[in-house]
Amino acid sequence: MEKSTIICRCEEITYEEIEEVISHGARTFDDIKRLTRCGMGPCQTKICMHLVNKVIHELTGLPFQDIPLPRLRMPLSPIKLETLATNSTSFYAVKSVLDELELEERR
Amino acid sequence: METNYETIIIGGGVIGNSIAYHLSERYKGGILVIDKKFPMSGTSGATQAWVWVHNKTPAWYAEFSMYSAELYSYLSKKIGDVEYRRTGGLSPFFTVRDLEKAKRLADSYEKIGIKIKVLSREEVLEKEPFINPKVVGATFSRIDGNVNPFRLIDMYMRAAKKNGVHYSTYNRVIDIQKQNGQFVVISEKTTYVTKNLILAGGPWSRELGRMVGVDIPVNQVRGQILVSEPLKPFLNYTISGLRQTNNGEVLIGYSMEQAGFDRSTTLDVIQETANMAVHYVPSLRKAKIVRTFSGIRAMPKDGLPIIGRVPDVENLYVAATHSGITLSPLIGTIMTELIVDGETSIPIDRYSITRFS
Amino acid sequence: METEVLVIGAGPAGLAAAFETASRGLDVTIVDESTVKGGQLCQQTQIIRALPSIFQPMRGFELAKLLTNQLEDFSVRYLLKHRLIGLYRDGSVGITNEVDVFPIKFKKLVIATGAAENAIPFPKWTLPGIITIGAAQTLINRDFVIPGKNSVIVGSSDFAMDVALQLLDVGVNVKAIIEAQSDVLARDKEKVKRVKKSGISFYLNSSIVEARGKDEVSEIDIQLPNKRITEKVDLVCVDGGRSPILDAFYQLGCSFGYQGELGGWIPQYNEFFQTDREDVFLAGNAAGVSSQGAVIVTGMIAGVSVCESLRIIDNREAEKIRISLWRELENIESSLYPDVWQARINHIKSFKYPLLKNQFIL
Repeated sequence: MEKSTIICRCEEITYEEIEEVISHGARTFDDIKRLTRCGMGPCQTKICMHLVNKVIHELTGLPFQDIPLPRLRMPLSPIKLETLATNSTSFYAVKSVLDELELEERR
Repeated sequence: METNYETIIIGGGVIGNSIAYHLSERYKGGILVIDKKFPMSGTSGATQAWVWVHNKTPAWYAEFSMYSAELYSYLSKKIGDVEYRRTGGLSPFFTVRDLEKAKRLADSYEKIGIKIKVLSREEVLEKEPFINPKVVGATFSRIDGNVNPFRLIDMYMRAAKKNGVHYSTYNRVIDIQKQNGQFVVISEKTTYVTKNLILAGGPWSRELGRMVGVDIPVNQVRGQILVSEPLKPFLNYTISGLRQTNNGEVLIGYSMEQAGFDRSTTLDVIQETANMAVHYVPSLRKAKIVRTFSGIRAMPKDGLPIIGRVPDVENLYVAATHSGITLSPLIGTIMTELIVDGETSIPIDRYSITRFS
Repeated sequence: METEVLVIGAGPAGLAAAFETASRGLDVTIVDESTVKGGQLCQQTQIIRALPSIFQPMRGFELAKLLTNQLEDFSVRYLLKHRLIGLYRDGSVGITNEVDVFPIKFKKLVIATGAAENAIPFPKWTLPGIITIGAAQTLINRDFVIPGKNSVIVGSSDFAMDVALQLLDVGVNVKAIIEAQSDVLARDKEKVKRVKKSGISFYLNSSIVEARGKDEVSEIDIQLPNKRITEKVDLVCVDGGRSPILDAFYQLGCSFGYQGELGGWIPQYNEFFQTDREDVFLAGNAAGVSSQGAVIVTGMIAGVSVCESLRIIDNREAEKIRISLWRELENIESSLYPDVWQARINHIKSFKYPLLKNQFIL
């Protein structure tokens, strides 16, 4: 493939950049993502997943069944914070840093 | 293929890589970093990456963190731009009761020379105009900041490789034995032999410890983080729980859960975190969240780092800690001193693994 | 909110599954992010012939209407303009209507989220005017927008043939169909004949080398076997194939296998169209990219299996119906796409041996 071909269109990551990190040992989509930002844009791998896995296949020879999916995450598509917020004030897992401090002092 | 090394580091996260880099700067023996997957596939790739000093307790641990934070600027000069920003850290509170706690914190830090200001409501809003006007005050420290964890580890690795460090990735360590004063590290792909062995396995420290007959009491804590779409820069400081990155995304996360090694996110915590976010910074209401992720953090039993020699086993070292991003430059430096000089420039007895026996 | 059967996706497979369950008395809720029922069928103007025997050949949008209308007699709860956003700790799904996020508790879940088109990368493929064939079809048949004046199509599947004819129908000049393989990939020979008759050039063993243009595509270089040509175009429709949409399955902790002919990674499922999560069933293109008729049958099988698992019909009855539905599926699929059919059989055979699992456990 032409080195300048864009693979991740959201973050404008080229084939060449992906090739470079693969030469440094990156082997899965997520490895490549962490080193290049590929897949971190608004589409969250929806467009580039297929393309990146093809590049990995081409450059490493790994069969497709050995090239795992990237880790897919919630939200399944973008959503506003105000939609997510319920305005409840009871928290089970979420703490402010000063709360941690109090726990520490009790210890 | 090389199988004999002077030093093997098990764990290619921020701690393992920092040790590899710092050690390779001063030490000419062969170094291998071995990881069961690829650097950043664990804790170090799932973090907000604060370089945070100012709420750490006890005060001597805060001091320790401060030394590490202060090493970041020089580190960037040596290994390359890791997008370290000493933004200053703001920890807002919304009740008068917390004001008392904040004052006590500031006093205790005063004693060890870390300057923490307790800001009034007006002062907070002047520094960070977008914080909820209902804020009562905040603790503030100039030392806190954040870094890009991916660039940090990428730069550590590249610099280490340039210095001759070898990496073996996607190669899980299955067993470790001691033979003729050397460690035999048996991994999926190869068997290695080494003089020095450093266990930097983060949340997996216990498992690694078992292989060498040592109890490394590190538990796992899950933190879930929300990532917003890129927004134009509007947050000036690292606010405990949220920060804005170089490219405008806001990272939001305040949660701690017991979840073993399960890295799922849950809508329950996501919604709680959203509530906290819009409470702290109401104008975030309109921002979209594009992703959530979760990281399993190492939590030593007493919350403090475990650093240094393992006394009964010669040439065996441990480096396992919470807040690995904050502490990486210092831990890398200290471990290097330990291995090359035999002693450290600052005392680390408080962090010794012996405190647990 | 609570329901007995929650169906994600009001496309043909989701509607078929909803019919099998609602018509037998189950409380069914269907969620779809669109404002219309029928999914991709709504924008398909071509006549679809390979359908389950209860249906006559008809145009896509007519089939969408039929599948919707057959549900009218039953009280199905439609949540249109709603989407699945995530999961709660207790296993309920989080649905949003863009104002709130709320949980829906279900007894059985049928996920029919379909498949998404793949891009084809070449230098400058991100220029405006370079879209997928599905996007072209949407623009023409749903939005009534002409996507360009002079076009080429990259790829030669049956879907590409449909879109070629649809572009011609609305007066877009289709200069060529560019196919990288040595043969046209479309299986419907009649359709290929019609496309060839229209005068569109077929360039086999060919590919786009580069696109050029200032703010949109204005010309492309095509590498043919023995020369390179330049075509002036303002529209390039690419057919990169489709891949099942897996997000919901991934979050639910379903495991996955790989079958290239079905579109790549797909959730593990058995002959009941049940995933390895007992309460989660699937249907449609999410279970492997196939033709519209096949996709409807998979929905029917999933629906029947859901009824069986909720003890609305007994095992013997369910098995009987399933056997005849599987026969229908085989008829529809293996006639034109024997490789897809075979891949499906292989996939079901390897149900107990997923390639990707425990994706959230470190």
